[in-house]
Amino acid sequence: MRRLSIGFIPLTDAAVVIACAERGFAAAEGLRLDLHREVSWANIRDKVNVGLLDGAHMLAPLAIASSLGLGHVRVPLVAPFALNLNGNAITVANALFEAMQATGEDLAGAEGAARALGQVARQRLEDGQDPLTFATVYPFSTHTYMLRHLLAAAGLDPDRDVRLVVVPPPYTVENLRSGLIHGFCVGSPWNSVAVEAGVGRVLLLGSEIFARAPEKVLGVHARFANSEPGVLAQLVRALDAAARWCDQPQSHEELAALLAEPRHLGLPRDMLTRALAGRLKGAGEAIARSDVDFLVMHRNGANRPDPAHALWIYSQMVRARQAQFSADAAHEAMQVYQPALYDGALGTHGAPSAVEPDPVGTRFGMPFRPEDIEGYLAEVDRG
Amino acid sequence: MTADPALRIVIVDESPLRAAILEEGLREAGYRNVLRLPERHDLLARLHAIDPDVIVIDLEDPSRDVIEQMFQVSREVKRPIAMFVDQSDSSTIAAAIDAGVSAYIVDGLKKERVKPIIDMTISRFRAFARLREELEQTRTELEERKTIDRAKGILMKMKGLDEPQAYALLRRTAMNEKRRLVDIAQSVITAAELLK
Repeated sequence: MRRLSIGFIPLTDAAVVIACAERGFAAAEGLRLDLHREVSWANIRDKVNVGLLDGAHMLAPLAIASSLGLGHVRVPLVAPFALNLNGNAITVANALFEAMQATGEDLAGAEGAARALGQVARQRLEDGQDPLTFATVYPFSTHTYMLRHLLAAAGLDPDRDVRLVVVPPPYTVENLRSGLIHGFCVGSPWNSVAVEAGVGRVLLLGSEIFARAPEKVLGVHARFANSEPGVLAQLVRALDAAARWCDQPQSHEELAALLAEPRHLGLPRDMLTRALAGRLKGAGEAIARSDVDFLVMHRNGANRPDPAHALWIYSQMVRARQAQFSADAAHEAMQVYQPALYDGALGTHGAPSAVEPDPVGTRFGMPFRPEDIEGYLAEVDRG
Repeated sequence: MTADPALRIVIVDESPLRAAILEEGLREAGYRNVLRLPERHDLLARLHAIDPDVIVIDLEDPSRDVIEQMFQVSREVKRPIAMFVDQSDSSTIAAAIDAGVSAYIVDGLKKERVKPIIDMTISRFRAFARLREELEQTRTELEERKTIDRAKGILMKMKGLDEPQAYALLRRTAMNEKRRLVDIAQSVITAAELLK
């Protein structure tokens, strides 16, 4: 039985790799997965790079940044499998939420929330106060791009009108409580942790900003994909079976118990069950925000890596000025996502359903146009 | 002498003991500008203010991702580029990760100037890990000794044995059951407590 070392960060969307290792899906493909819980995305990248990990639960933008050599030495990575779509939320401190409510805007909708945020942020600057500070988990992350998209919709310059910092998920609650940050965009279940600690309110679910945002992928070194395509195909099949199981509502109780174990996430089981169902608590006991597509682990072709998603990520890097646009780099970014490896392993052919014009389903602001990325980038943040 | 005394080196480590061991090693090697940051509070702002040439951080510290923010912004002129100077030097990277250390180095520093720092850090991290292991082992041995002594006492009292006989009984049972002596001793203690 071939053994593989797989890294993960303790988040709800590590579910597919954890279930794959622990519920027999890997064994059914003749694999044994040794799970390694890691504390930082930088660790995940570096351990995959030097071969201490064969593959990992990885932020999709990290896989692309690594392959392009952005901010770090170039490490060519391949994503043969998308672990999930969506799963993030934006949480703000109670005081900021109340200030936003006082603007009279309707915070139930994303556009109202954006307008309220813009008003409060500008008022602070006019009053000579420090700018609002928002945190994400890593510079190259969907979290960063979601937050920046919301800020842009609020008429704010994310680099001038607010401060953006990185805070590791386990520190988000104490940072929000101490006032070092006013809000954050982070993966499940850390938004719920902040709400249940009484320090923040969920402002928007990620799926209220983009309906189908790429999130985590299985990231492997290109050298592994090239040298052992058979083993990688076994892994893709095992993950696909695990993802199908994870995505079924009847599995959620058992899955939440598995994730809640101290060696995995070590967080309350009830909170994880709600996160899997896309039901996030507000203040008190009420379910404040709910969306069945809050976290998508398998359905609607979620696992097949869509190169248009890689292109969207690259375009957001350019938008955030993490990268300078070049057609070559855009092409290289798309090459990280390998639907051919997915199709080869599972015997599927092409995208399952009619493709939407906007592959990420932008809910407000300018829709993404993969066929005209230069036009999109020229227009998206103008005015 | 390869050491460049003017290099600004920051150690980010929540373990004061290891940080002290590292700092001492770097100072012995001739580096004068060595600074310890024991807290993660507002780490990025403090690093910006210090503007170090080299940052050394424990691999198991989640704040690594905070430091990575320093080099995502392409507009900054001076910034750390990478965990290591040269991506071709993968054996050094592997050795460092294996030892549990990560180091961020400002773009433009020559490999020759950084290598002694990295090598020293790796060896100190290893020495610290060994130290901790030995300490842990000593503590475990001490606890096991106490467990065995308690079990011997129980056997002596309940079965009227002397000390060598009690020890021989424990040892024989452990061999017969293919279990560790301390596990048998623990069973004796548990049983005695149940029968109290």
